[in-house]
Amino acid sequence: MMHKHRSFIVGFGLPAVALAGALVVIACQDSSPLLAPAPAHLRGDTCGGSGCVPPPTCITGKWTGGGRIDPTGDAARTAANDDAVDEPDGGQPPPPSATNASFITGKVTFGFNVFLGSDPSGQCIVNKGEIEVNGHALKLAWHVSIHDGVDAYDNRPVYATTFSDHHTGGVCLVVGTSSTNYMTARVNPQGGTELAQFEVCDNDRGQPQNSRSDAMRWRAQHEGDTGLTYLTGGNVVDHS
Amino acid sequence: MNGKSMQWMSCLAALGLVGGLTAGFAATGVAQSVAGQAYGTYVNTPAATSGQSPLAVLPALSGTDGAEADAEGSALSVANTLSSDFLNAITSGALGTAETGAQSTASAADLNILNGLITADEVVANVVSSSTANGAVSNADGSTFANLVVAGVPITSGDAPVAPNTNITLPGVGYVVLNEQIPTGDGVTSSGMTVNMIHVFEQTPILGLLGQVLGYQTLGEIIVGSATSSVGP
Repeated sequence: MMHKHRSFIVGFGLPAVALAGALVVIACQDSSPLLAPAPAHLRGDTCGGSGCVPPPTCITGKWTGGGRIDPTGDAARTAANDDAVDEPDGGQPPPPSATNASFITGKVTFGFNVFLGSDPSGQCIVNKGEIEVNGHALKLAWHVSIHDGVDAYDNRPVYATTFSDHHTGGVCLVVGTSSTNYMTARVNPQGGTELAQFEVCDNDRGQPQNSRSDAMRWRAQHEGDTGLTYLTGGNVVDHS
Repeated sequence: MNGKSMQWMSCLAALGLVGGLTAGFAATGVAQSVAGQAYGTYVNTPAATSGQSPLAVLPALSGTDGAEADAEGSALSVANTLSSDFLNAITSGALGTAETGAQSTASAADLNILNGLITADEVVANVVSSSTANGAVSNADGSTFANLVVAGVPITSGDAPVAPNTNITLPGVGYVVLNEQIPTGDGVTSSGMTVNMIHVFEQTPILGLLGQVLGYQTLGEIIVGSATSSVGP
């Protein structure tokens, strides 16, 4: 592995240095026209009486993680492992949602890997990803598979959003946003499908993985909502 | 902002980008690897064999890639040896510039080993390995047994952990290691952990000429709930 990286650096190092030098020369020349800001309408701004608002940004990149949560179904959201402080961040509804009044409780294990990108309008989408969630009390296994930007179980794009939460440096990811009709998950052992939403928060970025401050939430159309819950074990990593 | 100041900003931005490229190449010089695997059950005894099932293995990763693998099993039965249902195995991992990590989870429910010698409502194995600028660490937090009974003795009530590497004799059979934890790595640039929630060793005594026990020979093994993760150079 180390040898491969060294080869990579040797192979690409010299062209990269030449490219970097050329970049500095070009940038330091008088190039005002190049730096002139694009007109608002070309940037996709939404303009109104109070001015122009840039299009929504999408922090593209990769998220991965897995582990276990033990949601208790505490409606008051006061259980020790409830991440109640981060729950409404990003405009997320408090659990249980208005459309589904049941909690998913007991052991819930999961693993995931998603790559975020943006569509032509600037909205966050999942280019590819896999999400597996096991509800042990229900003996249900949900799976979401996204390839080439579409959900394998309904052929629709899967939209996502990222936002900061109440933990210092913490950031959350929601896959299957409410405003875009969630995403479709396969449900085993029955083999059916249902709408679902997945949320994770990386609250210990770059820190040793022993603080147990990362969190996960799973919402399923028929079974309910775990609520945003601190991990009992495992890890969530925002690599963007 | 006048044209001259914009030119200077452009120049500084380019220098910053060059710095970033340099740092990026430096980061790639720190080679990293990641691995993960999980499975529900494994049987290799004189009476029966059953491979690691269901088995999830993290595919080989390179660059700054990431992946997830999982496997599900509704029920498994190995005559007179093992039965279980709702078996699941998940592993995921990714290489990153700031953090590289892998995590794996395995579970098996309604467990019955050796005709009731060991029973449990469920076992969950959970491991995580992570490498950052602070070093490399692994742990098995979240690994538990639900209502585990060994040779008629309740070990856990409800869902609870058991101390790592708890060894219990199984008369006439051998012994079992509960929450068997096998760490690897130096804790600086590498770290890994395998946890086997239930590891049964079937043994037979080695007898001397006078019938005295000289030792034990392992004839077979049964593993339930195995999860492995590792990060390294």
